[in-house]
Amino acid sequence: MTAVVEVPQSFDDRSFEQVAAGFAALGDEPRVLLDAHATEWASPFALVSLLCAGQTLLQRHGTRPLLTVPADKDVTHYWARTGFFREAEALFEIHGAVPRVRQPAESAVLLEITPVRVAGDVHTVVDRIQDRAAAILTAELGLEAKATLGFGMALSEACQNIVEHAGGGGWVAVQAYSWRRLGRRVAVIAVADAGVGFRRSLEATQARRYGERWGDGAALEAALIQGVSRFRDPGRGQGFRGIRKYLDHWDGKISIRSGTARIATVRAWDEDLPLREGLAAFPGAQLQLVIPAAEREVAR
Amino acid sequence: MIGEIDVRAVLSRSVCEFHSDLVTRSTGRAVRDGIEAHLQEHPDITIVVLDFSAVRVLDCSCADEIVAQLLLRSAEAGAGRATYFLLRGLDEAHADQIDEVLRRRGLALAAEERDGGKRLLGLATDGMRAAWERVASRGSAAPEELAAELAWPVADARDALDALAGRGVVIRADAHYLPLSAA
Repeated sequence: MTAVVEVPQSFDDRSFEQVAAGFAALGDEPRVLLDAHATEWASPFALVSLLCAGQTLLQRHGTRPLLTVPADKDVTHYWARTGFFREAEALFEIHGAVPRVRQPAESAVLLEITPVRVAGDVHTVVDRIQDRAAAILTAELGLEAKATLGFGMALSEACQNIVEHAGGGGWVAVQAYSWRRLGRRVAVIAVADAGVGFRRSLEATQARRYGERWGDGAALEAALIQGVSRFRDPGRGQGFRGIRKYLDHWDGKISIRSGTARIATVRAWDEDLPLREGLAAFPGAQLQLVIPAAEREVAR
Repeated sequence: MIGEIDVRAVLSRSVCEFHSDLVTRSTGRAVRDGIEAHLQEHPDITIVVLDFSAVRVLDCSCADEIVAQLLLRSAEAGAGRATYFLLRGLDEAHADQIDEVLRRRGLALAAEERDGGKRLLGLATDGMRAAWERVASRGSAAPEELAAELAWPVADARDALDALAGRGVVIRADAHYLPLSAA
C-alpha cells in the first residue's frame, strides 16, 4: 500500500503545514507518494522543504519516495527552472514529464535551488548572487543601493546555519516575485535542511536553563531572539542578530520552522503569528527571509 | 612602525584567489591565521591597518573570527607590548557587522570608512565616544584641552582618554593622546 501526502494547490510557507501534517501522519509506511499533480504555484520555501521531505523518507526507508509532478506544464517548467528537479531526481522516483530548461538571462530565479553542505558552498552561493541581487533590490524593489550590502551577509548567515548546526546538508534558493498577500514584489531567501533541528542542536547548552519550557518553540526563541548558540563562546550566535538587524532596516521578515514550532518576526504588513507551537513534526529547520519592495515600488 | 594589510589579498592567499567575499567562520579563521602569520614575520609593526577596501561581503561570523578574535588573541599574546589596530575602507554594512561583534565581546576599534568618515566601533561609553571624536577631529588632545572643549572636569576628561588608550583606540604620547591615524 502507498501512503499519499497531497501537495497543496498553492504551496507556500503557510500551506506547507498541510504537507507537514501529512508527513507526520505517515508512521512507518515504507511506500510514500508526494502528490503534486494539482499544484499550481510553489514558493522557494515550499520547494526546498519538499526536498527535505524526500531526503528524510529516503534515509528512513532506503528507497526513494514517489513524486508526481504538477499536471500544468507551465508549473512543471517553472519548477525545472528553479533547479528543483535536478536536486529531486536523487531523492524521489519522479512520475511525469520533466522538461529540460535553460535559465533565461532575466528571471525571477535569482539563485536556483543549490545544495549547501560545506563552507565552500556558502562562498559559491554568495558569489553567484551578489551582482544579480544588486539589480533586483534596487531596480525592481526600489530599495536604496545599500540594501545590497547586507543581502549577501544575510544569505551567508542563513546558509551557515546548515553547515554549522544541521548535521547534514540542505538547500538554498533565492527568488523575486509578486507576493499576493502583500501586494508588492519581494525578494525571498529560502533555506532548508532535514538535519537535527534547533531543539537538538541547542539542547546540551540550553535545556537546563529553560526547564519544563524547553522544546522546539523555546529553542527557536533562544536562537532567533536571544542569539544563543550551542557553543559557549559569547562570540557565537551572532548570525541571526545580523540577519534581524538587516531585515529590521528594510522592513523585512524572517520565519523559521523547526520540529513542531515556527517563529517569525512579524511586520505591520504581515498577519503572521510570532510563535506557533504544537505543529506537526517535520525534520530539520526551514528558514524564510522576505525583503519587500519599497512602499512606492518602481513601476515594472 | 605602521603595517598595512590588504584583507582581500590575505583572503586570496589563505583561502581562494577567486573569492572576494569574507563569509563563513572557517574563512575568517584562515584569514586571521594569515594576518597573524604576517605580524609574526614583522614584529616591528605596532600599528596594524586592516584594509577592507577590496572586500565585497562581510558576514558576522567572519567579522568575529577576523577582527574580534584577532584583538583578543593579540592582547593575550602581546602582554607588555602594545599592538594597535585600525580598520580602513569599510562600507556601511562592514562597519555594522564589525560594530556588532565588537560590542558582543566588549571590544572597541577605530575605523575609517570608504567615504572618509571616522567611527569608533564597538563598546564604549558616551563619554568615551565624545572624547574619541574630539581626538580624531583635532589630531591630538590633552586632558585639559578636551575638558575645556567639552565643559567637563579635567579628571573626567583624563579618565575618558585613559579608557580610550586602554582600549587601544588612541595612543598616549606624554601629556597628549593621539588618534591612530595620526600616529
